Amino acid sequence: MTTTPPTSGVDLFADEVVLDPYPVYAELRERGPVVHLPANGVYALTRYDVVRDALADWESYSSDSIAFNPSANEALAGTSLASDPPVHTRLRAALTENLSPRALRGLKPRIEAKADALVAELVERGSFDAVDALARAFPLEVVADLIGFTGHARDNMLRWGQAAMQVLGPMNRRTAENFPVAGELYAWCSQVRAEDLAEGSVGRGIFDAEARGAVEPGAAGHIIHQYLGAGVDTTVAAIGNIVALFAAHPDQLDLVRADPSLVPAAFNEVLRFWPPVNAWGRRATRDTVIEGTVVPAGAQIAVLFGAGNRDPRHYENPDAFLVARNPVDHLSFGYGPHGCAGQGLARLEAHAVIAALSRRVGRIVVGPETRVPGNTTRSIEVLPVLEVTSV
Amino acid sequence: MRIVLDRPRCEGHGLCEEAAPQLMHLDDEGELVLDREEVDGADAALANAAARVCPVAALRVA
Repeated sequence: MTTTPPTSGVDLFADEVVLDPYPVYAELRERGPVVHLPANGVYALTRYDVVRDALADWESYSSDSIAFNPSANEALAGTSLASDPPVHTRLRAALTENLSPRALRGLKPRIEAKADALVAELVERGSFDAVDALARAFPLEVVADLIGFTGHARDNMLRWGQAAMQVLGPMNRRTAENFPVAGELYAWCSQVRAEDLAEGSVGRGIFDAEARGAVEPGAAGHIIHQYLGAGVDTTVAAIGNIVALFAAHPDQLDLVRADPSLVPAAFNEVLRFWPPVNAWGRRATRDTVIEGTVVPAGAQIAVLFGAGNRDPRHYENPDAFLVARNPVDHLSFGYGPHGCAGQGLARLEAHAVIAALSRRVGRIVVGPETRVPGNTTRSIEVLPVLEVTSV
Repeated sequence: MRIVLDRPRCEGHGLCEEAAPQLMHLDDEGELVLDREEVDGADAALANAAARVCPVAALRVA
């Protein structure tokens, strides 16, 4: 016996929902593991097991519809992000050749030194905007140096990165306003040449790979596009969240200071508690039965990482921020063949920031945070740090 | 039980080694080496934990 999934009138992309989706996530999770949302024309996956299983099952859930509007999906066609095996396997290998933890091993000391110097300077300053001075400044510098962005591209990384995530939403005002900006990134990536990127950078390495035939002709620009489009805005969000959550939970920062081996656990908990991405798309390739209800072939799926991450069926006391729980299996990087390709770099950056904060900072006193609604990334726009006490 | 590695899919994230250092490690090149492939009892539980945390689902226990 199968039935149709329960329905809800929720609009996942309404301003108040994208700003604070957790009450809606709780409501949807209780309604069922998959809930039909006519307002968005999607079937939302809400519970931990269903989300994780769907991310692993590329045969039932295609990535050809990761965005919630057809124009963005068309623009992404041919990238590893939006393709399925076997094509995906080849594109992913080209993308990660220079980005996997294996490739990045040598960077760790440099990234740690940069984070430590920046945090030391901010502690000295005492009051600053944690988003601008740390959450944006640090990944922009790391990614720009790594990929070799200079000049015009470096100046526009943040704008381009933000727009690339905004345009994955449904065709609402935010998507429409951001298409021209995302188009600037697209245009730049389609004409970028090796000599536009700094010598010795990973970006140059991708062009070298193209020149020797290891990457197919024309693919280098696509790969650069994905580094920037997927890697900037999300990392900025994660680092802003680190500061905000440790400011709100000083006892948790004390735990990391007392036991630095908790740094990776702390980052896992930051990601579980506040994933940088709200909703991500898939397309059902066939009628799929989820706990007795049928999701029809062709349906647009919305994967709700944050709903799964707060599922009490999987995590005890899920609405508490507790670094010691070390939720290694959180859903915020996705999972499986499309698991975040940049997660190794994200970990290097975030671990360096958390370690530096826990070493150098006693308490972080912040004023009210400002948030701006976004279609894809959920991040803090301004986080005024009023006072920092040193250890 | 046997640990099965999908080598092309492995990117060297190393979370499996943290979960089960007795069974596997990353070598100096960052390549995963399975020190044991046949496991049972407590080792099978460790192997399952390692497979569970692989972020790209490159490991399974069959």
